[in-house]
Amino acid sequence: MRSGAFRFLGNPVFWLVLAAAATMPLWLSPYYLGVATIALFYVGLALSWNIVAGIAGQLSLGHSVFMGIGGLLSSALLLKLGINMWLGMAIAAAISAVLGAFIAWLDFRFRLSHLSFALITLAFAEMGQLAAVGSEFLGGASGLFLPADHGSLLDFEFGGQRGYFYLLFTASMVCLVANLVILNTPLGYYLRAMRDNENAAQAIGVALLRNKIIAMMISAVLTSIMGTAYARYSGFVDPYQFASPNVSVEVVLFATIGGLGTVLGPLVGAGFLVVFGEIVRGQFGGTLPGLHFFIDGVLIIVVILLMPRGVVPTFVEWWDRRHAAAPKDPGMIAEVPTKT
Amino acid sequence: MAKNFTRRAVLASAPGLYLASKGARRAYAQEKTVKVGVIQPMSGNLSPYSQEGQPALEYLVKKINAEGGIKSMGGAKIQLVIADDASQPARTASEARRLITQDDVSMIVGTLLSAQMLAISPVVDEYKVPTLAMWAGGARASYLYSLGFPYDRGYAKTMADFAGALGNYDHKINTAVIACSNYEAGQQVTKYLRTMLPERGIKVVAEVPLDTQAQDHTASMLRIRSLKPDAVIGLMQPREGILLMQARYGMNYHDSIFIGNSPYSDQVIWRELGPDIGKAVLTRNLFGMASYSEGAKIASMQELAAELRSKGNLKSEVGQATIQAAQTARIMQQALELAGSTEREAINQALKKVNIPFGDPNLYLARAEGLAFGDDRMPKDSTSMMVQWNADRKLEVVWPDLYAQTKPRV
Repeated sequence: MRSGAFRFLGNPVFWLVLAAAATMPLWLSPYYLGVATIALFYVGLALSWNIVAGIAGQLSLGHSVFMGIGGLLSSALLLKLGINMWLGMAIAAAISAVLGAFIAWLDFRFRLSHLSFALITLAFAEMGQLAAVGSEFLGGASGLFLPADHGSLLDFEFGGQRGYFYLLFTASMVCLVANLVILNTPLGYYLRAMRDNENAAQAIGVALLRNKIIAMMISAVLTSIMGTAYARYSGFVDPYQFASPNVSVEVVLFATIGGLGTVLGPLVGAGFLVVFGEIVRGQFGGTLPGLHFFIDGVLIIVVILLMPRGVVPTFVEWWDRRHAAAPKDPGMIAEVPTKT
Repeated sequence: MAKNFTRRAVLASAPGLYLASKGARRAYAQEKTVKVGVIQPMSGNLSPYSQEGQPALEYLVKKINAEGGIKSMGGAKIQLVIADDASQPARTASEARRLITQDDVSMIVGTLLSAQMLAISPVVDEYKVPTLAMWAGGARASYLYSLGFPYDRGYAKTMADFAGALGNYDHKINTAVIACSNYEAGQQVTKYLRTMLPERGIKVVAEVPLDTQAQDHTASMLRIRSLKPDAVIGLMQPREGILLMQARYGMNYHDSIFIGNSPYSDQVIWRELGPDIGKAVLTRNLFGMASYSEGAKIASMQELAAELRSKGNLKSEVGQATIQAAQTARIMQQALELAGSTEREAINQALKKVNIPFGDPNLYLARAEGLAFGDDRMPKDSTSMMVQWNADRKLEVVWPDLYAQTKPRV
């Protein structure tokens, strides 16, 4: 691992923010803690997706499949076969990894363009939802209703709001560290080389298939784990939420607005937009229904027009210019994809 | 004048302003209120439910308050705290948490379809908040009650009984295709119809699940036409109902009797199909379940509809959701009266005792055995009316005989 990751992890501001976030359950009301928990879930999803799309430049629209496997399969294994949810989570993650590897192989085997890859993964997302809705084992269209939480950690029960906040907090931090590590190890350099010019990367000896498969597998496993964690938190696993291609689109938006290919971008994008949307809807939903959709739309247009590389890279550039700081940290900022 | 408002003057007046606001707050607190959270799909694809139902709910609550509020609580006024779940089940849970922990509501009511009901269930059980759903087909949480039709004795039984009863009008049904929207409620109703129809001597020749993402249901209608069943029976969402009727019109197919739920009996289907297609397919061999019909022989329903039309500030025609919301307001009123307290547990116990008998002016739904909740927290009597359309877009109740205006037209 290169020094970039250590610089990031050694930054006291990072630890200060992390510590402040970890104290949230002590001072936030249950509602706002719930909002923070949902935001952490999306942060984890956006960071997982960022590995494939932001760093490796493969615009996947099929990550809802992995989330669906994580949420629905682990719940079904518990409810239908009595399999402990920790084990269910591992099984779901393994299946997601295999499926991810298959998708990556398809991409390599057929040398798919960005558009073709996006469309193929979208097709996987649609098929995943249809399979979930049509499968009695996975709860069909009715979804799955998990048993009440009694706070037994061995049974993947975290005992209410605070417990689930820390579960999703930990899971999203794992996703963050995974991004950081990948960006600062040879894998990250290979993936970025592939993203910028696949042929050139291959010419200098980068193993395309191997690296694509590794990136997709890591991303799929993390997404699947986030799905399992969120399923246990929400208690009701709705196939129209967990296996919906809309989730993939939301994640794309969050990561893109925050800053694709960076560590902090997806975190900031998902964290801000989810919290902001929830609060606006909570405050104005009764009197001005749909206002949050409108504001979201305006924000997206404004950010894309004024900060095409995303909020975080734009801010880092501005900060560097203003303070004539040291060279850019690859853990904080990376180039936007150029492959077309 | 503006320069008189110096920072010092503002700071000096702050304690006075604070005391004044505190006094006003105390005066407000003296007027007893019961906070009721209302979760509605104000935005998103389910918003027609709230557009139709919310004005009726607000009108009835205003009326209850004007008539003296909740008398067992010394005339406490009902205060609605409205939340938008954007038609997304996950948001329903989030809004419930907000209403409970931020606004401290005593109970929650809302459109709450089955998916929303399932999503909200862990939350209302965790905080032990009595919740009344207007439409959910089940009540999963122990603090949750629903006015909706249960999948078995509500939807499936009503449709199967009506199909069986058509034999009494010389239209014996021998074969049927089950055509339900392929979603949660549709799959459940299919499961029950599979056993209920044969029990009434009707052979199920096929099941044709209607894809909820499809843009066209011609393929489904082609399959139905090839099977030529006596009846096509099923629960569907409005979109599938409309697409199926468009396909039926396109094929000019009238050999089967179509029996369905509210999408077949709501004015929306006329608006979506247009007058020509509507007249061709809706007035022939088509029957829909309905909670409300203009011509139903239920005096309280008719009086309420007339009152809402004249004073209710409705945004649309009186429809199924209007009556369902109005009935919710009356159940809420009775539960609060019985509870005599804003305590959540007292209201939960009171909901179990709610009983609006047949003939009561506050019973707006067609429930011959009155309105009370069973052990499953669903209405004990969950039957519905079956209606048919006339060319002038008016509904006629054809079944059950108690409310019927005319015989089924086949």
